[in-house]
Amino acid sequence: MTTFLHILKTIVIVIAALFALTFTVYIFNLDMKLTAAIEPWLLKHYDKIDRDQHL
Amino acid sequence: MAKQVGADRLGDFYKEGSKVRKRREWRGLADTMYDYSRWLKIMMTLGKFVMKPRNVKAMFRYRWMANYLAVPMMVDRHTQGLRGEYLRICHEEQDLVIDDVAKLLDSLFRGDRRIGNDKKFSDKVVLVDENEMTAVMMGFPTLKCLSRETPSTYVSVLLNQYAACHYIDVAQEFGLAGDVCPMPEAEAGVSIDDDAPVLGACAIQCNTTCDGSLLGNGVISQRLEHEDGIPVFQLAAPLRHREDDVQEYAAQEIRNAIAFIEKHTGVKWDWDAYFECAKRVNYATECRQEWLEMNRTPYPQVFGSNLALYTETNYMAICGRVAAFEKADRKITKLARQAYAKKKMAAKEYRHRAIIWGVQSHYYMDFLVWLLNCWGIVPLTDMLSMVSTRKLVTEDTPKNREQAIYDMAWLTENMIMRNRTHGGYKVLLDELWEFVEMFNADMVILWEHMSCKALDGMHGLFEEKAREKGIHLVWVTHDLFDPRIISRQGVRDQINSYMRTVFNEEPIDPSLEVLPDDKSW
Repeated sequence: MTTFLHILKTIVIVIAALFALTFTVYIFNLDMKLTAAIEPWLLKHYDKIDRDQHL
Repeated sequence: MAKQVGADRLGDFYKEGSKVRKRREWRGLADTMYDYSRWLKIMMTLGKFVMKPRNVKAMFRYRWMANYLAVPMMVDRHTQGLRGEYLRICHEEQDLVIDDVAKLLDSLFRGDRRIGNDKKFSDKVVLVDENEMTAVMMGFPTLKCLSRETPSTYVSVLLNQYAACHYIDVAQEFGLAGDVCPMPEAEAGVSIDDDAPVLGACAIQCNTTCDGSLLGNGVISQRLEHEDGIPVFQLAAPLRHREDDVQEYAAQEIRNAIAFIEKHTGVKWDWDAYFECAKRVNYATECRQEWLEMNRTPYPQVFGSNLALYTETNYMAICGRVAAFEKADRKITKLARQAYAKKKMAAKEYRHRAIIWGVQSHYYMDFLVWLLNCWGIVPLTDMLSMVSTRKLVTEDTPKNREQAIYDMAWLTENMIMRNRTHGGYKVLLDELWEFVEMFNADMVILWEHMSCKALDGMHGLFEEKAREKGIHLVWVTHDLFDPRIISRQGVRDQINSYMRTVFNEEPIDPSLEVLPDDKSW
């Protein structure tokens, strides 16, 4: 019983921590702030790719 | 930060010079938790997508893939200020479209010679244009109907206002005219820039809407046929689509297209699959008609972006071929009926009822939801949502098989945009005023797409008729895919000046009147 309660407690704590983390990311728009920081780096990368440009 | 509709100053979420907003809305506990759960679902869809190494490889190969970093923000833009059923309707649609586009991208990269190079899969792929009715694919359930232009240009520009600019510039660097529609020009630019996935057994192109579209198709098919060895069929649907004397020719074009696909894929047309899809098309039409019927009352329910963006996807790109859209139609209708019975409103005040006409610019901005939140203008319906309501035959008989060819021809002729920009004076001008009356609208917002020659010549005729009928006609100039020509604020300012000078009104949400979103995605 004690082991079961311990597992249950751990699951609840993990879920609560995951919720707190993801909800913080969601409400403060951190996902978009991160991807906005990645974009300029990606654009520079695309500029370096050799392309067979023609009509 | 409140549960009530219209309680937030939505403009306060923007930050000068930033690509993204400061934070997401607090919509009350229930709606925020709902929005959060849908955000989690989107993150899982995206997570599943990037789990595949070939999709990551594609992310580093194709410039337009960078726009997909902004997927959650596109949803945030269209759910701005929404609560209750309106929020749920928007998510039902947008999340399904995201899922569908993720599958489309995954399929493209699987067959792409540069990325997945799955030859067996590629041999089952039929490429279609972005702006093309996919009716000819309704009887080919074992083939994959894929559009390269949908993810590279059309969806990209919904995600990031500047998405098409690079490709427009590339097309013009190679001497293509700068005054054609930026949509086909950007599509041609993707091909010129060697940035389109290469796959497929064959391709079907359509004489969609305009000179620009024909120009773009020429450039793209040149590369497909002569370099990639992918044969292309030109489906030339008649432009005078309301005339009886063109229908036989239109039907023959459909027969030819089907024969072409059969020849190049070795797959035979399946009538059972066709009639199954036809039933779904009819169901989607019934639902759309019910939504529009509600929009004629003082309590419209499925309108604005919720109507426009979903109709464009469901009517033309899906065309009954994906069962999940039937399920979504059912859910949306249920939510709309629920809200209608409670006489719910999507904004705190409805001041004007508008029909949005012309080739619209909601591609690079969230204009329709802005109209509602800023000025209380309800965008009841728009030109691209007023598509065919003709019922298709659904019973498999020899006579109906012949009729089905004409039904597919009718749908192809009446694809979105071309059913209004071509076909004569009646479909573009006369029917607008019929809709104004039908929807009890007091204003028309007329997009003036400055590169669309199909509509430019009608300017004076619209004004003359509006004066005669005593309807407020507001011109809004834009350049469809290119915000460098007319910015988002440039678009908004045209409405702002009309509302202040002619109506002498103050905005419902003053924080939205001028937004610092010039640099935003």
